[in-house]
Amino acid sequence: MAVLGALRTVGGPAWAALAVALCLAAAGCGPEGGGGRAGGDRPDGVIRFVTWKPNVPEAWEEVYRRFHAAHPRWRVERELGPHSSTAFHDMLTQKLKNRSPEVDVFLMDVVWPPEFGSAGWALALGDRLPPAEREAFFPAAIRAGTYRGRLYGLPFNIDSGVLYYRKDLLDRHGFQPPETWPRLVEQAREIVAARRRAGGRHLAGYSGQFKQYEGLVCDMLELILSAGGRIVDPDTRRCRLAEPAALRAVEFARRRLVGEAAPRGALMYQEPESLALFVQGRAVFMRNWPYAWAVSNNPDKSKVAGRVGIARLPHFPGRRSYSALGGWQVGVSAYSRRREGAWAFARFLASPEIQRLMATTAGRAPARKALYDDPEVLRAQPHLARLKEVFLTAHPRPRTPLYPAVSQLLQVYFSRALANPHEPLEPMARSCCRQVEELLALAAEAQEGGR
Amino acid sequence: MSAGARRLSPLARERLFAWGLLAPCLLTVCVFAFYPIASSVALSVHRIVLGLPGLGEPFVGLANYQRLMNDPEAMLALANTVVFVFGSTALELALGLVIALVINESFKGRGLVRAAVLIPWAIPTVVTSQMWRFLASDNYGLLNLLLYGRQVEAYRAWLADPGWALALVIFADVWKTSSFAALIILAGLQTIPAERYEAAEMDGAGPWRRFWHITLPALKPSLAVALIFRTMDAFRVFDLVFVMTQGGPGNASNVLQFYGYKKMFAEGFMGYGAAVAVLVFVLVLAVSAVYLLLFRKALFREAA
Repeated sequence: MAVLGALRTVGGPAWAALAVALCLAAAGCGPEGGGGRAGGDRPDGVIRFVTWKPNVPEAWEEVYRRFHAAHPRWRVERELGPHSSTAFHDMLTQKLKNRSPEVDVFLMDVVWPPEFGSAGWALALGDRLPPAEREAFFPAAIRAGTYRGRLYGLPFNIDSGVLYYRKDLLDRHGFQPPETWPRLVEQAREIVAARRRAGGRHLAGYSGQFKQYEGLVCDMLELILSAGGRIVDPDTRRCRLAEPAALRAVEFARRRLVGEAAPRGALMYQEPESLALFVQGRAVFMRNWPYAWAVSNNPDKSKVAGRVGIARLPHFPGRRSYSALGGWQVGVSAYSRRREGAWAFARFLASPEIQRLMATTAGRAPARKALYDDPEVLRAQPHLARLKEVFLTAHPRPRTPLYPAVSQLLQVYFSRALANPHEPLEPMARSCCRQVEELLALAAEAQEGGR
Repeated sequence: MSAGARRLSPLARERLFAWGLLAPCLLTVCVFAFYPIASSVALSVHRIVLGLPGLGEPFVGLANYQRLMNDPEAMLALANTVVFVFGSTALELALGLVIALVINESFKGRGLVRAAVLIPWAIPTVVTSQMWRFLASDNYGLLNLLLYGRQVEAYRAWLADPGWALALVIFADVWKTSSFAALIILAGLQTIPAERYEAAEMDGAGPWRRFWHITLPALKPSLAVALIFRTMDAFRVFDLVFVMTQGGPGNASNVLQFYGYKKMFAEGFMGYGAAVAVLVFVLVLAVSAVYLLLFRKALFREAA
């Protein structure tokens, strides 16, 4: 009995392998099962769209309604995945790895196209999208969807880190939104100290995303770039975390941000936790994505509605500000047997009409530049006008087919550095860099082999 | 009945019948236990990187295992797993024993207490993990309120502390599964004949002596079963870490199963991830074998 129990402990991977085997055995399910049963048991004309659980379901219902009206031949059937990008990635790649024809169109986080292109999961869309049409999108979003010269993702929306601040508190002290990181910490310290002297509720100076997860890479990338550093040099494929500028930024984050301005609990904050602190009126500054604007100004969800300001992220003295590029792209599965319908739906999601709809009803920043001068969009989301410049200069995370693995290494390094402020930083950075470069070399080797 | 079947001797027919009865079970074991193990082992001796099909899927022998032994993050996860397994099982057995002794006594409302004790075990682990994550929160966690009351400045971010994160994961597991240990121990308690206690009492043995000389020895088989079950289950710890900490901060609460999962499903290193899974399997097998040897007498008393 005990042995049997032990056998059962072999766990996930084996079960997954078994599931694949069973799936392959069942005719019509595996890749060979094609022939008469194209697309499984689905009726003709049904496109399967893998997406995350929407924040604003009504907006998406409207998207489907309009698509069905414009393309009566096709019907979209959606499959909802988890909201977290990493968990969504695990679910989606599981399907694509098994070459499931049950996926036609899917959403891709902006960091995935190199992996999806290299693995052969996403269809190259290049020949379908004329160069003139590409010009309409933010260049960073098009670059993010491109791998080795081929376009795999159509930009759906764009995201970038921005600084939120408590306008009322800064005004009371006569402060302008801080230009530099040290200035931010000083302002926060003064405001927090004044609050304490007055015997008011406890206030944190800064709120951000410092948990060991994907968001940590974005927050730290912004700090490193704005100190004049780099994580990886895209041309030489060298990791530069152990160089002085990058070290200075991480040192600042662990001594002045997490150690001083931000509560220590920020080491466990993702976006929702950091936003919760801010909308409760318990933080002076917050780094977050543009979606936080609508939430923090909604009186039903926020105690600080109407008292919130938005600005570019600060930089280090003598340097300039950078924001991490985020956002989602639309991809078409290489195993889709409904490519025409899939392409029609993908292009529809990237169209000006739908991006305008998503901007006005769901607050998603469009990936098309022209919509930032669109009166309808600006009436609903006036703050977007100021964000266009941020999006134009948004900076990508390292672009490699092994990005998920690179990101894991970076997450461990950053999280360990922040959680253990007295451990020397440079050896940690060197060890992380050695492993990152190893991965980049492996990716390069595979490219040579594939040529 | 066909002529062929009639020609079989009664013994052969009996054997055939026995195999027929065993077949569904054997088939299930082969499909759901042996096949996955074999396929994991097969994966683990290849280099398979999902994002890089250009590499092919070469056979690499034991290279993945060699790498695993020299991977500091994997070794840290291994150490954390061992701390988790032995820490949580020891506490669960101790607490389970106490709970079992209490609910074995007869008192008013015992039925209610017995049902209440089982509730943590009945709650899905994901819900337990989320609950403990909330309880330990630095902003609204009940844990801080209980410890520091209204002194908000003193509130601690328990899960953000590399030293406390794993301890809290262990704590959550103890909260959840002590009742399972209690259930097994309670079953053992109820097999102890009341006459023994009466006789001991007659001879003047106090409660402690009765516990040490009657209860504990009689509970050995139940304790051994609970220990083995809990140990094997604890080695598979995944959901608690996944929900409570994601292995953080800085991998301080990372465990092997979660590490292997990330290698395989997030990073796409199928071969290396399979090697981690096989390592967990071998560890559980080894620990179970040691326990079985140690407790052979207690477990198979009747057979001997």
